[in-house]
Amino acid sequence: MEKLKDAFDFSDFSKAERLCLAIFSVFLLAFPWIGAGSFVKTVMIQFLLFSMFGMGWNTIGGYGGQVELGKAQYVGIGSYTVALMMVWWQIPFWISMPIGILIALGYSFIIGYPLFRLKGHYFAIATICTSLVLKDIFDNWNLVGAAKGIELPIHEHPDFLYMQFKSDTYYYYFIMVLFYIALFYMNWFRKSKLGYQLRMIKDDEDAAESLGIDIRWCKIKAYSIASAFVAVGGGFMAVYNLYIDPASVMELSLSIKIALMAMLGGAASLWGPIIGAAFLVPLDRFLGSWLGGHGGLIGLDFMIYAMLIMVVSAYQPRGIWGIIEQLRHKGS
Amino acid sequence: MFLIDALLQGILMGLLFALVALGLTVIFGVMDIVNFAHGEFLMLGMYTIYWINKLFGIDPLLALPASTLLGALLGVASYYWFIKYLLRGPAIAQLFGTFGLMLFLQYTAMFLFSADYRMIDKGLLVGKSLSVGPFVFDWTKLAAGILSLIAFAFVYYFINKTKTGKALQATALNKEAASYMGIKTERMNAIAWAIGGATVGTAGGLLVNFYYAYPMVGILFVMIAFACVALGGFGSIKGVFFAGLLIGILEMTFPVFGQIIGSDFLGPHFKFTVVYLAYFIIVVVRPQGLFGWKN
Repeated sequence: MEKLKDAFDFSDFSKAERLCLAIFSVFLLAFPWIGAGSFVKTVMIQFLLFSMFGMGWNTIGGYGGQVELGKAQYVGIGSYTVALMMVWWQIPFWISMPIGILIALGYSFIIGYPLFRLKGHYFAIATICTSLVLKDIFDNWNLVGAAKGIELPIHEHPDFLYMQFKSDTYYYYFIMVLFYIALFYMNWFRKSKLGYQLRMIKDDEDAAESLGIDIRWCKIKAYSIASAFVAVGGGFMAVYNLYIDPASVMELSLSIKIALMAMLGGAASLWGPIIGAAFLVPLDRFLGSWLGGHGGLIGLDFMIYAMLIMVVSAYQPRGIWGIIEQLRHKGS
Repeated sequence: MFLIDALLQGILMGLLFALVALGLTVIFGVMDIVNFAHGEFLMLGMYTIYWINKLFGIDPLLALPASTLLGALLGVASYYWFIKYLLRGPAIAQLFGTFGLMLFLQYTAMFLFSADYRMIDKGLLVGKSLSVGPFVFDWTKLAAGILSLIAFAFVYYFINKTKTGKALQATALNKEAASYMGIKTERMNAIAWAIGGATVGTAGGLLVNFYYAYPMVGILFVMIAFACVALGGFGSIKGVFFAGLLIGILEMTFPVFGQIIGSDFLGPHFKFTVVYLAYFIIVVVRPQGLFGWKN
């Protein structure tokens, strides 16, 4: 019960922040009724999905300060579990998604145990390696469709058990619920014992160790939490897109995007990943559809994207939230 | 028989891998930064030679100095215009920064040259092969291996025997102490980036003789280079040479083992998976590598 209270308790934020959250929540609830086009709707769904990914990454990458660049493998695990169970055994989404989470958790413990012997650059590159190994395996494994990917069977009638709907609105509300679960969980997490331990580890590992914190175990726990978040999102991607292949759910660029949204918005803050996703997802989608459509301009959208990364990391590594806080301190 | 052939081919590839990884290890040694954009310097080196060959008809081997020069310029430019500013921030910003540079160069190449796979089709050595007894070598690969070895030896000599090289080593050991001795550490950083860019540019110029140039070619080779650098020990030049050879041999002999066992699962699709796995196992089991001195 105490934990639940902590999760819904936003009282340590300033009044302005709470007001923004309230307005934002009203907007999210009302969004499907303001008559936005289907393209804007898909962008909103992507935005909620990526904020959730970013919040997951924030546990290990933001609060824990570990540069984790292999989250795509858990997106893959989540979405492949849902898709394969549905294709092979017609198992409903509501059973296969929790199983996907369990697989992601188990896998993350197995990988995390050797992974967290490493620090800094070694760790970052190793996370990329593990992700690429899994992608290579799925790319060549005929049983799971290899590089062709798998298509989910389409039901004639909308089916809640299999999460198949005719309209995007249902998907929108579903991902919104997931988003709020993630948000409340993160609100609890940042005040939990593990959250404080992680911040301590980020600041000074030696000091944390001398206080009796089991550094490696803490990191593994945070890593697994992040993986579970991402696997849920992966499961959603499978039922939403109805088609998955290694290139869309396990690509390195997906890992980068997840980490980047959290970092651009502001790592180790509750709002950071949401701000980052609110900024990058529309940018990505609109640039992609405007520029990518014109034959000669392929790549220009990613050039702008990359330049943004370079500028942020050179001038304000704490991201957009860092800029806002700086302005606020100047103001007061 | 197949195995010996694969071994020899592996050594030739390994020499090239060592040259690719050399720049990465020099930069890491001197300033503790991992350059994700390293593979993109390679890619641009490849494109330089490709276009010189295509537009002016100059032989790819004669044009090699152009890719060396371009690499060096790229290295220095990215240091002074970008990396210098990254150094003020935390490690996570440095990683993302070079990652951003990587994406930027990749998509600039895609924007300018499109995503087509391009290969040199005319040149002095292209398509010719040398047979020694039962073994057949492509001249292009032979030239790439030998020239890589020469370039590597040259850099090794420069770093160990010249005054500037010694200053570089001093900076790598202890930046502060080096600056007290009157070494301009910022210039040393720039020199490290110049060496890094020049060597990898040269490697790109050699590689394009027998490998496709396309915008995303870098990520593959940068992962191989990471594995070499990790195996050799981050910052170790001697280490990266032997590690390059080992990885080259591993990459070439692996599909042969698959053939011998008759297993599909060890097929050539997985030859780079082995490299990633090798990196993972190396850093977990022996983080300091074979010859490493930095923790």
